[in-house]
Amino acid sequence: MKTLAKKDLKGVIKAWTEKYHVLAPSRMTNGDCMFDTFQEESFTLDYKKPPLLPKAVFLPHTEVVFEVEENKFREVISARNTILFGIRSCDMMGLLQSTSFMTRDRDDIYYSTKKERATIIVMACPGPQNETCFCTTTFSGPVAQRGFDLLFFDMGNNFIIETGSDRGKELLSSGPFTDMDDNLAGEKIKTFKDKAVRDIPVVDEVYEAMRRLKDGIADEKVWEYFGRKCIVCGGCAFVCPTCTCFNVYDHESAPGNGVRARAWDACLYGGFTREASGHNPRPTQASRLKRRHEHKLLYYNETDIQESLCGCVGCGRCSDYCPVHIGTLEVAREIVKE
Amino acid sequence: MTNSINEFEDADLFLVTGSNTTAQHPLIGSRIINAKERGAKLLLIDPREIPLAGFADLHLRQNIGTDVAVLNGMMNIIIEEDIYDKKFVKERAEGFEQLKSVASKYTPRVVEKISGIPAHDLEKAARMYAIADKAMIVYAMGITQHTTGTDNVKTCANLAMLTGHIGRPSTGVNPLRGQNNVQGACDMGALPNVYSGYQPVADPAVKKKFEDAWGVQGLDDKVGLTITDMMVAARKGEIKSLYIMGENPMMSDPDTSDIEHALSSLEFLVVQDIFLSETAAKADVVLPAASFAEKEGTYTNTERRVQISKKAVASPGLAKPDWEIICDVSRLVGYPMNYSSPADIMKEINTLTPSYAGITYKRLEMCHGLQWPCPNEEHPGTAYLHRDRFSKGQGTFLPCEFKPLAEVPDEEYDFLLTTGRIYYHYHTGTMTRRTSILEREAPVPLVEVNPDDAKRLGIRNGDQVEVTSRRGSIKAMAEVTTRVPKRVVFSTFHYYEAPVNLLTNAAFDPVAKIPEYKGCAVKVRRCI
Repeated sequence: MKTLAKKDLKGVIKAWTEKYHVLAPSRMTNGDCMFDTFQEESFTLDYKKPPLLPKAVFLPHTEVVFEVEENKFREVISARNTILFGIRSCDMMGLLQSTSFMTRDRDDIYYSTKKERATIIVMACPGPQNETCFCTTTFSGPVAQRGFDLLFFDMGNNFIIETGSDRGKELLSSGPFTDMDDNLAGEKIKTFKDKAVRDIPVVDEVYEAMRRLKDGIADEKVWEYFGRKCIVCGGCAFVCPTCTCFNVYDHESAPGNGVRARAWDACLYGGFTREASGHNPRPTQASRLKRRHEHKLLYYNETDIQESLCGCVGCGRCSDYCPVHIGTLEVAREIVKE
Repeated sequence: MTNSINEFEDADLFLVTGSNTTAQHPLIGSRIINAKERGAKLLLIDPREIPLAGFADLHLRQNIGTDVAVLNGMMNIIIEEDIYDKKFVKERAEGFEQLKSVASKYTPRVVEKISGIPAHDLEKAARMYAIADKAMIVYAMGITQHTTGTDNVKTCANLAMLTGHIGRPSTGVNPLRGQNNVQGACDMGALPNVYSGYQPVADPAVKKKFEDAWGVQGLDDKVGLTITDMMVAARKGEIKSLYIMGENPMMSDPDTSDIEHALSSLEFLVVQDIFLSETAAKADVVLPAASFAEKEGTYTNTERRVQISKKAVASPGLAKPDWEIICDVSRLVGYPMNYSSPADIMKEINTLTPSYAGITYKRLEMCHGLQWPCPNEEHPGTAYLHRDRFSKGQGTFLPCEFKPLAEVPDEEYDFLLTTGRIYYHYHTGTMTRRTSILEREAPVPLVEVNPDDAKRLGIRNGDQVEVTSRRGSIKAMAEVTTRVPKRVVFSTFHYYEAPVNLLTNAAFDPVAKIPEYKGCAVKVRRCI
């Protein structure tokens, strides 16, 4: 295994920017953190759990899929060589799940082209990033098992780096990396991981809620309660690493000219399931919330979940950002409440 | 707002009136929902059964346009039962005797007759509000868009002062601004009577200050016209040209036929907008402006917080940020404005506007905004207003008498039409109706009709109905719902297919000149 002194990290990433578009955690002047184009001055390792997800790199919020000019159409597939530095293990699982869904039976070329040209570097979590982290419950962290090109362990003054692919190996072929005995590295990683697992409590209510949903004994009143207070912002879907629904629309700029584009959508909106007749199989906010959470905790696809627990990766962002506290954690706790 | 949005977390009671908060200010609405869960009380005074009604401890559904009577009635009870804040009234307010004498006429029985609110409910409401430790009044256009809009606002202020629910954290009077920067536009003097920071144009010292700063002589010290005055003047030929920026009066102003007449009477109309709106289509010259995402600058939100916004995408075609267009026009008419950037303009704002003096670009870059008043660079900004004194010193009770709507239903026009917005669309739809998902969510204009009325008129959910006032007629789809009371219909001004302002009454509040969008007489029939 390789190691890298922490003081050399910025230099290494800077060298990568010559060949790659590097997205890395950045601290804005107002204190906010987000993944953004690497810049030495704003790069930070103290970034917790930024709200914007790696999925936005592969499935941008809005994306043109073809252009029409003078009645002739031209497909638009945009991608560039990208390094995503420092995503969390839960987000890695989110990417694995999303990629499975987007390529399993029909290849979403706009997504997969970007994914193929991306190098993923995961930063293992030494513990919870905040009180809503529950990746140990969903088998998606604190240390990614696969999917990554490189996996970094922060050991204080240096990083131990695990390689996950040839592409990752290539990145380590030049630069101030030093070799470390695999056994010694393995021991250090085990200690790191054991501590992280101990520090991120397992949320048993999630298992119990899944069981009750499966057995059909979850109280329907749960959905009524949440449905009444949901403000229909769709934010839970937008911050979710495994939500990939989009809406397709045309925008005509002049007769015979325009674009077809897609944009993030959310199953919390009534129009998402409304049929052409006007009939809506999910007619109430309660039924839409039920659909969303059952999709994560009950009706997930076995292939897509990539050997994790379910369609939720335990990042806790829905609980972090929902203005009225309707996240997976709150929903699970409400379902098991007597 | 006299308070900050964060103060919703500590209030014990919210009096929400004339605000469909979860639809129009959903993040503030969510604060109220969360507060309810921790045990705060919600007192709702609104004719419509809006989503917050499901959370209200008490919902008073007053007849439209009777707000002054209802609030006076509450004050009558509070004074009668001796539960007003005597210390606050004595130390910080003046004119209590006048208030008492006006309020004394609004006994619960009298108010019940005017407003339809049962006397015992009004008594409950009055006690709830008065005895709460920290109560916030929250209102929006349901209070202001009336010929008595100014009276309604004064009466809200009277109620807050009478009970001492102002000047402490989580107590105050909170008009929720309906647009992201309407506070900022007003702060910057986009009003006929003031320069930035509400400095009067008629004040000679203020006039001199701005003349010196801008290197000019003879700035006009006469108060100009409001939008509604301008339309009247245009119709009379007293105004020859108009320069309209980011406003769509052909859809948003009352009595559209009259507005169209006014704009057609002009010799020259310039419209500066991001899309060719219904108003821009009538212009002699259209100046393409950059959208919010295509420019840099600051917005001042409903809690007086000035926040920086960065450019995210390039403008299409020839579009430019508004400030650049204004500088270009100014240069062409012979007064070069040599601003190099929004930051440069902010420097001038800091110099000339005392409440913004400490809100520098440099500071804004480093935080999540600053709330005015912020008089110097060391000042942290102001979370809530009127702490130890009101800006004028003592607070003066300004009691108002109830006045009915300018147009009340009669035998022929037997319904009241009230208008507003829905969750998915913003104003005249210039932006939101071009946004795929928002348009998908609310693609057609609806008119809310009460089930009793619907039954009587043979209207079923989804039927086309025709709504007609003395000024015009529109057709839209009926939504049969108890959200509206009997003899009231509700519709929005988002849709060009059913422009509701063809119907509304161009009667104005005498002071603020705001039109009475919230009530006019109409008749309703099912289209065959």
